[in-house]
Amino acid sequence: MRSYVALRMVLHDRSSTTGALLGVIAIVFLVGQQLSILFGLLNYMSVLVDHSGADAWITSENVRNADAGNLISGRYIDRVMGLDDVQWAEPTLIGNGLFLTKDGSYESVRVIGTKRPRLAGGAWEFYKADEGAMLDLESITVDRLDLEKLGNPSVGDITEIGGTQVRIGAITEGARGFQGTLVFASLDKVRDISRTPPGRYTAILIRFKESVDKKAALQRLRTILPERSVYSTSELSELTRTYYFTTTGIGGSFGFSTVIAVLIGVVIISLTMYTSVLGRVKDFAVMRAIGARKIDIAMVVISEAMIIAGIGVFIGFILLSILLNATNGSSIPSFLPTQVPAILAIGTVFISLMGSLIALRVAVKAEPASVFH
Amino acid sequence: MLLLKNIAKDFSDGRQKRRVLFPTNLECRAGELTVLSGPSGSGKTTLLSIIGLVLSPSEGKMFIKDQEVTALSDVEAATIRLKSYGFVFQQAMLVEGLTILDNIMLSFAIQGQKPPADNHQKAEALLKTLGLEGTAHMQPRLLSGGMKQRASIARALIKDPPILLCDEPTSALDAESGQIVMDILKRIAIEENRVVIVVSHDARVFPFADRLIQLESGIIVSDTQESNTEGKEILNETD
Repeated sequence: MRSYVALRMVLHDRSSTTGALLGVIAIVFLVGQQLSILFGLLNYMSVLVDHSGADAWITSENVRNADAGNLISGRYIDRVMGLDDVQWAEPTLIGNGLFLTKDGSYESVRVIGTKRPRLAGGAWEFYKADEGAMLDLESITVDRLDLEKLGNPSVGDITEIGGTQVRIGAITEGARGFQGTLVFASLDKVRDISRTPPGRYTAILIRFKESVDKKAALQRLRTILPERSVYSTSELSELTRTYYFTTTGIGGSFGFSTVIAVLIGVVIISLTMYTSVLGRVKDFAVMRAIGARKIDIAMVVISEAMIIAGIGVFIGFILLSILLNATNGSSIPSFLPTQVPAILAIGTVFISLMGSLIALRVAVKAEPASVFH
Repeated sequence: MLLLKNIAKDFSDGRQKRRVLFPTNLECRAGELTVLSGPSGSGKTTLLSIIGLVLSPSEGKMFIKDQEVTALSDVEAATIRLKSYGFVFQQAMLVEGLTILDNIMLSFAIQGQKPPADNHQKAEALLKTLGLEGTAHMQPRLLSGGMKQRASIARALIKDPPILLCDEPTSALDAESGQIVMDILKRIAIEENRVVIVVSHDARVFPFADRLIQLESGIIVSDTQESNTEGKEILNETD
């Protein structure tokens, strides 16, 4: 009955309900949008590691992120290949270069060299052509999202990176790094572009055999290579994300935006719920007079807040999904891990309840004696 | 049924204390319509509020069917109000957004308990008795003042309370509607054997009273059944 009364009140008090709904929608939409961009950027930060297909990475010591390792010797490949745990070990070389566009200007790109024919650590999704194109020594990839920036090159076009001639072999889909444009190429091509001495690599990627206990294998690798850092892919991914998150101010920036969005929502909810309850003080006093306890009045107000929060969360997520669908495939990074919407929904309901606390206080203080003349 | 022994009430603003109701003795019986009357500020609403357990007395004791109800907790008072009282206010005070039927049921189940199975039939029957047939699913704003007041009587009666308290139930109504409402209250008192107490300064109400009590300055100055002229105490003032 109390929740039914709350529902009828919510439906009747349209202006205040609309106001409170806007507050809830603002929280879901603004916080959801901020989080989707944050998670999108987090994905960019560790994109190379996450899509490498490797179980472990051997890097130079004291690496703080996957993009900033010193070069290591290729002899480690031979050392780990002799281990029973290892299915394969492949080098990767990451460097920088200037991409010559059609109009003669240059764009800075990050070049990632992979070893043929496995191409471990290479491109994972293609928009035009496929992985086979990368078996050609001259071939490089550019990403669909970077085409305009790079002067709209087509597959088969010849250009230069760092003064080295390359041919556009394929166009990737979603290969974007936190530091900008990603271009995949053969190891030799990247060595030429980045002027790296032979036999030196950024990292060595390891895939363990299926039957192996990966944690134990990782530990054995660390024992064998004490002078190098050995990370599992998830460890290096987290390390990289944490590094960018904490050192670039991105965490503080998004955290601040999220707090502001929540505050705006809470203020809107508080004010509208408060106004709504003020207009209903007489009704609550009548309810108290005819036998409602304070807890009953509280239940009505909490039910009102829950109903508004439920509807607001629903509408907010519809709007958010429209936004995410609209920006999907665009240059705006947006991604929401599956557990985030549930956490956001629960958090918003909680925030809505907090927003209704002032109103709740006013409602339960309605004096039953005030209904008498 | 309802017994007040030396009930008094002081109001204080923290610095000054003012006595608005002097020690009052009163016994109300079932089957009787009692009218409390008096000029503004005479203490009749204060007395009604104390009887209705929405205001605690400063002194004295109050009993309902020999059970003392003077110093109850908020929850206990609410539960007794729910079970034993029906209220009719000066304005109908129906909750907007709820239908007439919802408003009547509100009185029944506001503490969250499940209403009895026959509650709808009972509400419909009450509405019919009060001349409100066909209004069950209407919003209060669609009803006239008199109809709303009768709907509020239905809300008060749905639980079959032994005590019905009415605060100026006719003052917002025209003469004809006021007459109808008082007829209903009189019938409820006599035929249904309830304690009905009406606060009013409307002289049109007096002919319906089985007992007319006049208050002035917090003292019962006349009672058609008995007199109550307890001593008036000196105003207490505190710093």
